[in-house]
Amino acid sequence: MEAPMSDALAADVIVRLEAVTKAYRGVPAVSKVDFELRRGEIHALLGENGAGKSTLTKMIAGVVEPTSGRIFHKGKEAHFASPNDALGAGIAMVFQETSLVPSMTVAQNLYLGSEKFLNRLRGIYISAQQFLQSLNFPVDPAAMVETLGAAKRQMVEIARAVHHNAEVIIFDEPTATLTPEEKRHFFALVRRLKAAGTSIVFISHALEEALMLSDRITVLRDGELVASGPVANFDRDSIIAAMVGRTLSGELYQHRDETALRKPGRKMLSVQDVSMSKIVRNNSFSIFDGQIMGVFGLIGSGRTETFKIVSGIYKRDFLRGGAIELDGEPVRYYVPREAVKDGIVYISEDRKSEGFFETMSISKNLFGGLLAGGKEKSAIISMKEMQALSADWTSRLNIRAINDNARVVELSGGNQQKVVIGKGLVQQPRLVIFDEPTRGVDVGAIAEIHQTIRKLADDGLAVVVISSYLPEIMNLSDRILVCRQGRIVEEFSPAEATEEKIMYAAVH
Amino acid sequence: MILDPVLDLFRGKAVTIPPLDGAFRPNTRLDDTPSATPLAEADNLAASPDGLMASSGNTLYRIEAGKAPAPLRSFDAPITAAAASPLGELAVALETGRLHIGGHEEQAGPDLRCVTALAYAPDGTLWLANGSAERAPSQWSEDLLRHGASGSVWKRPAGAGGFERVAQGLAFPYGLLPVDGGIVLSESWRHRLVRVAGAERAVLLDKLPGYPARLAPAPGGGAWLSLFAPRNRLIEFVLQEQHYRADMLEQVPAPYWIAPALSSGRSFMEPLQCGGIKTMGVHKPWSPSRSYGLVVRLDAKMQPLFSLHSRANGNRHGVCSAVEQGGRLWVASKGGDCVLDIDLTELAREAR
Repeated sequence: MEAPMSDALAADVIVRLEAVTKAYRGVPAVSKVDFELRRGEIHALLGENGAGKSTLTKMIAGVVEPTSGRIFHKGKEAHFASPNDALGAGIAMVFQETSLVPSMTVAQNLYLGSEKFLNRLRGIYISAQQFLQSLNFPVDPAAMVETLGAAKRQMVEIARAVHHNAEVIIFDEPTATLTPEEKRHFFALVRRLKAAGTSIVFISHALEEALMLSDRITVLRDGELVASGPVANFDRDSIIAAMVGRTLSGELYQHRDETALRKPGRKMLSVQDVSMSKIVRNNSFSIFDGQIMGVFGLIGSGRTETFKIVSGIYKRDFLRGGAIELDGEPVRYYVPREAVKDGIVYISEDRKSEGFFETMSISKNLFGGLLAGGKEKSAIISMKEMQALSADWTSRLNIRAINDNARVVELSGGNQQKVVIGKGLVQQPRLVIFDEPTRGVDVGAIAEIHQTIRKLADDGLAVVVISSYLPEIMNLSDRILVCRQGRIVEEFSPAEATEEKIMYAAVH
Repeated sequence: MILDPVLDLFRGKAVTIPPLDGAFRPNTRLDDTPSATPLAEADNLAASPDGLMASSGNTLYRIEAGKAPAPLRSFDAPITAAAASPLGELAVALETGRLHIGGHEEQAGPDLRCVTALAYAPDGTLWLANGSAERAPSQWSEDLLRHGASGSVWKRPAGAGGFERVAQGLAFPYGLLPVDGGIVLSESWRHRLVRVAGAERAVLLDKLPGYPARLAPAPGGGAWLSLFAPRNRLIEFVLQEQHYRADMLEQVPAPYWIAPALSSGRSFMEPLQCGGIKTMGVHKPWSPSRSYGLVVRLDAKMQPLFSLHSRANGNRHGVCSAVEQGGRLWVASKGGDCVLDIDLTELAREAR
């Protein structure tokens, strides 16, 4: 815990929260938290999903108002009724889900709300171009936002916050969708902002980033402040211990030697020279029973698209599109249902738009998986059967919710991900493809999801894990495939692989 | 889909190359082997009761661990195949189509001008693979590019006078392994191993990721298969382009054809260069290559168990023969100009 502030230090505090509480329907999301942000510092805010990080920062940014407690801005008590109020006071927030207008160009989005009376489109494009270049963001200002990928949208979102000349910028998981190269640019940008006197609140699940970038760290657990102090007081283990109340680091990301790896079973699926436009190009690999195959690649390397072809979501080229053999027999899926019937399940990286029905309950979502897999023979849905199925999988996957009828949208990211996984597993698959299974998921849930994935392979299923997070790939996989420019270029054994070797193959 | 075979007639059947994974997972075992005996264009290894022999150009050499190759006998033309019987009888085939069996020279027959492999069965039967009825052994790449399928396999029982044809219409048979009641042969251009027993033919191993060469028995069952070049998407594409291929054969010198090779990267005029191969001076091991080094251990059912590789950035390429003798695996790298000597106990431990 921090020592009492001196007067000089107090004058340097730009935002201070005093015993703030925010309750939803009487349930506190944030409870009596004291927080302070100093001028020109990078302050990392860490915690599991549902720990209250976003709620806390939303109070600072005027998105929600505290139920009790006080917010001080530059020493004076402030009441921000809207994000615009906060922006007026120099506080901007970059949200996890981008808030750009898809049907407008990048430049128009950058200047949205700050247009001049006589607006000259060409002038906007020129100054947007200069501004984006100064940030080292390779984004075309004339491009429509809807045509941009997730990473570039995130860049525009960040650029917009910087463009408002905010004194305080809050980043909510800014690096989740960025490539390593883009991350380096982003970190350089954050350091430049800091040097210019901007204060930064930085929410991330990547603990290494927090340790590397920030000056101070605050850890929340279950809505309460559990630790706060200079970064020198923390290491990876102590942060995780504070976040989850126990040490998980050793369990999560440990190096394994050759003897700890699962041996390949029967060759289940063989993908040969599969091509789809310019995104997937002559991609070849095999998948074996009883093994976890990790697939690493940068964004745009075609890894997701390849496995969407395998699972029938995308179609490979009609002419010279290659071949896929399941158990030695050629298959060509035109809809995912055919793949699901053959026991191939794809668990999406974008759970919010592809993974679940957010306004439906956990039990309905899980039962939906059963229906999609064609495992339900009866034409009439039995509520009793649905509840039994839900109770079974809720306990198997340790989905934490008030009850089975809780809507999925009300769950934390980790529990939402478990619902998506459960929805796939009820289909009794033979091959499970996890695409970014722990993106936006807290450390505690990561351990549980990893355990689920390992158990599937131990039970003899073929498992594929696509991930951008190298420690996850190296820790989970029995073999690591590296994808670049639409092709698997290299295979490593986790026993011999290093992050440098994998990155070299992914980049060159 | 049920209509795929019909649609393939119009859109062209997808020619796919099996991935190098599972038992074929790339490694650098051939390049890591410290013990290599230099021997220019080392080709066919033959184990005899007197020791191990290797052919190189016109000469047959004796190979011993830690010693320089000792010339045994020279011929008037390059040796294309050699074998030794359990009793020590030596059979050698030459580029001219002549055979030397047990010290006697003979012409095997008018159709036998491309002898690629010889093998003795335990009962003394001599098996012979004729890669092509139309071209000499050194013209193998042209045979591939012209979709040659005129190869045949012959046998001569012990004490018999001449060879009798056992199978024909083969796409460059290059390896022979006598088994009970028949022969297992490697068919290079069809990337497979076939068992021939009387009139019956059975495919034992299909869709190999390279062009198979010679087979040799492994003590305790199974075999060692060498693959002399990798399959490559560019080459597979060229093999489908008839007019391009015809022009290339006519106008481009043979070393620069887009075709498999026993070694590569030695001339700036070769196809397949630049950024796809080398980045910042580093030759990428996963880059496409015309040549490669690959030896596969097969089980008794001719299914792959594990393999030894020299990858695109290695130089022990063009492996045409691998023989196990005295607890060691001997590998002739024709592209790498050497015979490798690999400790099998170490290998078995790694393979586990």
